[in-house]
Amino acid sequence: MIWVETIVNGILYGGLYGLLGVGLALIVGVMRVVNLSHGEFIVLSAFIGVSLVGVFPSVHPLVLLLPVAVIAFALGFALQAVLINRVVTRPDPFAAILLTFGVAVVMRNLMVEIYGADLRHLQAGRLAQASTGIGSLQVGVLPLLILALSVVLFTALQLLLTRTRFGRIVRATADHRDVVRLMGVNPGRVYNLVMGLSLALASVAGMLLAIRASFSPYSGVERLLVSFEVVVLGGLGTFWGAMLGGITLGVAELVGLRLDPNAGPLYAHLLFLAGVLLRPNGLFRVRT
Amino acid sequence: MTLLDVQALDAFYGDFQALFGVTLRVDAGETVALIGANGAGKTTFLKSLVGLLDHRRGEIRFAGDTIAGEPAERISRLGLSLVPEGRLLFPSLTVEENLLMGALNRRPGAWNLARVYELFPILRERRRQSPNALSGGQQHMVAIGRALMSNPKLLLCDEISLGLAPLVVDQIYESLGRIRAEGASIVLVEQDVKRAAGAADRVYCLLKGRVTLHGQARGLGLEQLSRAYFGT
Repeated sequence: MIWVETIVNGILYGGLYGLLGVGLALIVGVMRVVNLSHGEFIVLSAFIGVSLVGVFPSVHPLVLLLPVAVIAFALGFALQAVLINRVVTRPDPFAAILLTFGVAVVMRNLMVEIYGADLRHLQAGRLAQASTGIGSLQVGVLPLLILALSVVLFTALQLLLTRTRFGRIVRATADHRDVVRLMGVNPGRVYNLVMGLSLALASVAGMLLAIRASFSPYSGVERLLVSFEVVVLGGLGTFWGAMLGGITLGVAELVGLRLDPNAGPLYAHLLFLAGVLLRPNGLFRVRT
Repeated sequence: MTLLDVQALDAFYGDFQALFGVTLRVDAGETVALIGANGAGKTTFLKSLVGLLDHRRGEIRFAGDTIAGEPAERISRLGLSLVPEGRLLFPSLTVEENLLMGALNRRPGAWNLARVYELFPILRERRRQSPNALSGGQQHMVAIGRALMSNPKLLLCDEISLGLAPLVVDQIYESLGRIRAEGASIVLVEQDVKRAAGAADRVYCLLKGRVTLHGQARGLGLEQLSRAYFGT
């Protein structure tokens, strides 16, 4: 029974991991660039969340997800428009990757400067402790909510990309950046919106993760690592693959912790390594 | 009335000069063939027109506007539409979505989804499929349809017969006639000299980045053409 519970919790946790990674998958899929500052933005949104909770103590943190996502969208849009668009059209993708690495380093140090290096935590009140019984299983209400929210956001992203005019433009831009210009589309503007969307999704994941685990300005590297593993496990640039990749990692991590309480995320990383060696194109090839 | 007026166009890839003083004119309602061997600069010329090649010198006027130096996304809104070499369809989009991409400019005119399906009925049947699932000829039809959806004043076609069976080429060229009938001018880039000269009012020949011949399509002799084409 304890194993079933562990696996169920792993799935609930993994949905959050999937959400961490899907924004990165979006960037990789559309721009063929890895955003190395993805983790720092996840941490920054958690800090913004903490600040907002300080300003509006009576508002529940889950309600604050919306303003944080809006702020993250604006930051992503600006990051892309001001910096990354300058280098993203170069044939060598290394320039853009290096640039995002620089952004990550600067952001990390700015966050230490502004918020200090202490570990922080986002309080979710009674909701964090509440649990409900499914059959004979005890499952936390908050993790269930988080998984539900992840699924809703994944579905919304999928519909946005497959059913709307905007989604059509994004997919076409990912296919042929030059050809869409012949149809009046400015690829740079598409990239701005996509980066905004990517970081908005990441910010939701960052806030939710901050309720479940403490964080510091240095947590960005871990967040990026998880996001990256999710993207690679899921198959580069695919979204449902990212969700399944996240769940796989979540289950591996919690099962690993059950086997060896000192292991931390070791088993998730080992699984990632095995996955890359055995199926280098991703465990789940669900092309969108 | 002159629709497109190109004066002394030079184009470069880095230090390499691909076009030397190309001067070319297209009148409204006219079909002009641009012929030349591989590497003569035909595709470079089209890229310069639509704004995909930044490195260029010279004057380009289209429908009264100077467009040299303008970005591609703005030029496309003026009614200049390219059927690119190798089609360059969007594989992540369905056939119909590919066509709809052409309509993003919202230029008014005779062409819309229904009219393109009328022109190429097979595309209606295939509209939910990926363009990768289509035959080469059908993919050309999608590329032409996509370009038509923006209701261009001037349609630029880059090697639309390349790699197709003769019967399919006939079909594609037949559709060009109907596109002309709706009032669009056409620039036809071809390696197939006979085919292009047969469909065009006037012919320009490029050799190593220079115009070596231009004149009425009907008056051109084969010997004259081959000398301009091969430079012998």
